[in-house]
Amino acid sequence: MVNFTVDEIRTMMDKKRNIRNMSVIAHVDHGKSTLTDSLVSKAGIIAGAKAGETRFTDTRKDEQERCITIKSTAISMFFELEDKDLVFITNPDQREKEEKGFLINLIDSPGHVDFSSEVTAALRVTDGALVVVDCVSGVCVQTETVLRQAIAERIKPILFMNKMDRALLELQLEAEELYQTFQRIVENVNVIIATYSDDSGPMGEVRVDPSKGSVGFGSGLHGWAFTLKQFAEMYSEKFKIDVVKLMNRLWGENFFNAKTKKWAKQKEADNKRSFCMYVLDPIYKIFDCIMNYKKEETEQLLKKLGVVLKHEDKEKDGKALLKVVMRTWLPAGEALLQMIAIHLPSPVVAQKYRMEMLYEGPHDDEAALAVKNCDPNGPLMMYVSKMVPTSDKGRFYAFGRVFSGKVATGMKARIMGPNYVPGKKEDLYEKAIQRTILMMGRYVEAIEDVPSGNICGLVGVDQFLVKTGTITTFKDAHNMRVMKFSVSPVVRVAVEPKNPADLPKLVEGLKRLAKSDPMVQCIIEESGEHIIAGAGELHLEICLKDLEEDHACIPIKKSDPVVSYRESVSEESNQMCLSKSPNKHNRLFMKACPMPDGLAEDIDNGDVNPRDDFKVRARYLNEKYDYDVTEARKIWCFGPDGTGPNILVDCTKGVQYLNEIKDSVVAGFQWAAKEGVLAEENLRAVRFNIYDVTLHADAIHRGGGQIIPTTRRCLYACLLTAAPRIMEPVYQCEIQCPEVAVGGIYGVLNRRRGHVFEEAQVAGTPMFVVKAYLPVNESFGFTADLRSNTGGQAFPQCVFDHWQIFPGDPLEPASKPYTIIQDIRKRKGLKEGLPDLSQYLDKL
Amino acid sequence: MTVPLQFSTNESNAFEKKIDNSTEILHTSQENIDFVYEIDRCTKWIRSNNFQKVCLQFPDFLLPDSTEVAQRLQLALNQTIYVMGDTAYESCCVDYIAAAHVNADAIIHYGPVCFSKPSGSIPSLRIYEKKSLDLNCVKEAYVNSFSDSDETFILLLDTPYILHLDALQELFKDHNNLKIYPIDADDLKVLCSCNIVVIGENRRKIMNLNLSFKPKKLYYYDPKSDLKSIINYEQDMKVLKRRYFLIEKIKDSNTIGIVIGTLAVKNYLRIINRVKKIIQASGRKYYVISVGKPTVAKLANFLELDVYVVITCAMNEIYESSDYYKPIVTPFDIELALNPQTNDLSFSYDYNFYLPDGDISECDLENIKKMDENDVSLITGKVRCSKVEETTERSESVHAKEIALRADGTLAVNTTFGAGFLQERSWKGLEQNLGVEVPELATEGRRGIAQGYQNEK
Repeated sequence: MVNFTVDEIRTMMDKKRNIRNMSVIAHVDHGKSTLTDSLVSKAGIIAGAKAGETRFTDTRKDEQERCITIKSTAISMFFELEDKDLVFITNPDQREKEEKGFLINLIDSPGHVDFSSEVTAALRVTDGALVVVDCVSGVCVQTETVLRQAIAERIKPILFMNKMDRALLELQLEAEELYQTFQRIVENVNVIIATYSDDSGPMGEVRVDPSKGSVGFGSGLHGWAFTLKQFAEMYSEKFKIDVVKLMNRLWGENFFNAKTKKWAKQKEADNKRSFCMYVLDPIYKIFDCIMNYKKEETEQLLKKLGVVLKHEDKEKDGKALLKVVMRTWLPAGEALLQMIAIHLPSPVVAQKYRMEMLYEGPHDDEAALAVKNCDPNGPLMMYVSKMVPTSDKGRFYAFGRVFSGKVATGMKARIMGPNYVPGKKEDLYEKAIQRTILMMGRYVEAIEDVPSGNICGLVGVDQFLVKTGTITTFKDAHNMRVMKFSVSPVVRVAVEPKNPADLPKLVEGLKRLAKSDPMVQCIIEESGEHIIAGAGELHLEICLKDLEEDHACIPIKKSDPVVSYRESVSEESNQMCLSKSPNKHNRLFMKACPMPDGLAEDIDNGDVNPRDDFKVRARYLNEKYDYDVTEARKIWCFGPDGTGPNILVDCTKGVQYLNEIKDSVVAGFQWAAKEGVLAEENLRAVRFNIYDVTLHADAIHRGGGQIIPTTRRCLYACLLTAAPRIMEPVYQCEIQCPEVAVGGIYGVLNRRRGHVFEEAQVAGTPMFVVKAYLPVNESFGFTADLRSNTGGQAFPQCVFDHWQIFPGDPLEPASKPYTIIQDIRKRKGLKEGLPDLSQYLDKL
Repeated sequence: MTVPLQFSTNESNAFEKKIDNSTEILHTSQENIDFVYEIDRCTKWIRSNNFQKVCLQFPDFLLPDSTEVAQRLQLALNQTIYVMGDTAYESCCVDYIAAAHVNADAIIHYGPVCFSKPSGSIPSLRIYEKKSLDLNCVKEAYVNSFSDSDETFILLLDTPYILHLDALQELFKDHNNLKIYPIDADDLKVLCSCNIVVIGENRRKIMNLNLSFKPKKLYYYDPKSDLKSIINYEQDMKVLKRRYFLIEKIKDSNTIGIVIGTLAVKNYLRIINRVKKIIQASGRKYYVISVGKPTVAKLANFLELDVYVVITCAMNEIYESSDYYKPIVTPFDIELALNPQTNDLSFSYDYNFYLPDGDISECDLENIKKMDENDVSLITGKVRCSKVEETTERSESVHAKEIALRADGTLAVNTTFGAGFLQERSWKGLEQNLGVEVPELATEGRRGIAQGYQNEK
């Protein structure tokens, strides 16, 4: 049974050097949840025999049914390390003196790309990551994505090669081949790590290295695993070599000649790679003996290895026996625990270098210093990274990490949402925290208080936060930086209740759904349609199911998925556009032109943003995009919402009263940028220039009422005269498949306007990786289509990549964009046809 | 006196100016006027009541006939008749205020009407439009659709067709399960849960009928269309769905403008008071705005307002317009969004419908408690805080006598309402910008006014 109590855990929480916060990340189906079971069973939470089948961290019914993780799940566990292992921890900040126990807060995350926002949320609150790689299929797309994210968040990775049982039983790889496979995976992982960080960075050495013990091997399903440390320990007596030295010998180009008892650096006739000889050979032998039913040999072998089987297990044979033997000999929990405790950083170590990435305020204020030192006596700083539904419908636990101070039941704290600006009142609440709790997979345990460096849940703050936020007791604290997701909600469905009377329930459900998922967007459109926007089809499917079954609890009708478009322009306006105000006394002269490639993305990423110093921004725009410096200094605003990827530039010279109408023009610009002229979709990558303005001399005749609607009309005229285009979202799609199926992939992609930009064989495997751009609009049903065309061998992973101009002129009634616009207009209840330029453009 | 050139426009502008007229102006031929405007009935009505000052109200498109009608009435009655043009709000409602300017004791209203309950007490006579109706087509259409049905039907005549009432009754006299009503009948409550066939082309009016009376089935016969058949009216869900969006908008708002859009609909003052109370109880701020007929330009002058609630008659098309900078809502939306006690109202543009005379009083507003807890806005995706709490907190802090720095002409600290909005603006008044801008010598600029400067000619 569970071999620790909540009290024990609470005691451990104060020993911050003995805490490890870690997430398990990997490509979909590489065995994260299965592997996690080994640790959960070592902690006594589930029975050892059940480990690998329970998937304890897959708490939802649909997760169990589909065998796919959807939500990330946290669990706190307590372990003790043996003295002989403790000596491997050399950094004094990595363990408290005289303390053998370790508190591991583990978060198991989903692997499917549609749920990668869950991974982002998990990474934020952890310091280390266990990267699981299926050694048969190697490093995959999502492995790279999550690893990249981890490095960007300054999360230290360790590597685990999973599914060794498959390599041995199904693929029947030779020892040397298997070594090469391992070697290649380690290399691949290190290449990715090296691309996004270097060893001289603040995290120190990030690379994984089997000879240091930061790479594990084994099978989560069968519950066995090892690092070179385990084997080095077995042999160090025999060889009279120090364990650390021996670990170095057991990996890489080290060969041993059994006859001469000599080590060599090269392969020679009668020597053998040490890894194969000392590590793989015994494993191969066990597999061989047991799977071929060599009973006597097995018994001898077991005696030699010192494996004592329980009485009831002795009767087993074949795979069942193999499992028991391997699990007794090389228990996975033990190997993982050592990897985690020795190689992953404690909060004390990690927060030192993570603070500057996490905190938006000055790096020397009270909060920053407390975070940096992981100070439990400093002001409270906690980041809430996601909301976890409770059994109480509509209420959520706010799940997050205490970076400094202590969060306690009943204490009063400042709850700051992502829009909080220090000194202002928006998005700020001062409320009492009702309860602090410990998340234990599918259970929660109440706990009095939680000190810095730990992960916990809070009750009673869910009303004040939508998805994420910062909780602090420090009055001048800034926000913790908002998480950046690698995916965007580009696929949308409209939902409505089957029974119209249920609408209030639907609205309530949508609000709950918006909280429960880190990325989903629930919006009501002007037409009154309720829209759910998600990363992909699977994401939406799960969201809809949750909405129907958990949040709204009513039957729901849904529309076919649609994508949202953007309106843009492709040329500069072909004339100076003039619009007169309703009283005819004010005139605006403007033009629109497309932004240079890359600027809209820079704005999206925040590299160019409205809060920058205007001089710095102007210089950047001048250097990178060749904008005129004086003009670039006079960017009036970004839009829509003050931050979007469109700009309004003042190119006038010496116009009287211009500043006075700025607020009105900006308001008109925000309006037009939010609802473009073609179909009231957002604008993208459009730059508007104001060239001249004539204004009435009396302030009363140039008020907002005259200027705002006129600005909008003028901007619309600018758009219509600048060869308007629509933009559609495009996925980057990576498909892994055997060579024979590649042809089928091309066929499917061609039919769906996709285009392949990279095709390569995965080294050492018969698998090919095809990378392609695929319009999101064409991606509905893509997975199924691909499967049927490749005999189920191809599996795509699609991530939103960029916006792309939809070829064709939307003003041409025969074109495809025209049809798209008409569809949108119809859906929104707008007048069909095209907007008439003469409505917006005036003559002198 | 010579007017300086800068302050006047070339007079040719006024002559060359083109007026855009969306509604077609109607000219009635001389011989028809007596019939169309029911001169006899008008004279009889004025005589029998002995009215001294009578006003005639015409919608804009009938104005060309106004002089002729007035002259004929004056001739018949031998007294001065006043013509009211340019109605302040909607021409479908009787303009009591304009009539009060001349102390009128009677109003004759011509043209389309909306049948909102009137607010004024000046006696009025309504003379409807007259439109031709092909009676046989109606009969044929009716027989085609319902001859084999044994349910009861009501044939409802819209105002332009009321004159055909007798003829229709004659025509349908052997149909026992059919009753014919003019739309101005007194006891329209019979319409509830009946099968109704409306003869008329105004979809808005048909929708209002549907929303107000909730008939069992609503059909309409459009004499203007070429279809010549009875069509099942299906409620356009868009209008109702849009309410949800507007309700969210209202919940998101801090400051609401109450726009007076009518002076002619019954209880308009009481509904304004009610809306005020509801807004206040929800912790929001309101401004009452009276700008005559609301237009896009007029309403865009109030940047600090987030939503406008327009108090007007049910036929007003302002609610449907999407040209306005900020959303336009009905009193109904305010009720649903901010008054937690009303949940089972059904939508109507006419506030007199869902708020019977007794209820419109504010007695039930006393106990509007604070709206339930914070929730998430489905428009901005942000947390919406309970405004009540915010306002009470603020009044508490007033008592706390907190001292704030008043450095830059700040009027109010940390409010989300009007004064706080002013603080957000980039332009706050004439700034000297000492040391930032170099003084320049005055140079000669443009001459003329913005409508046409000299250098542009």
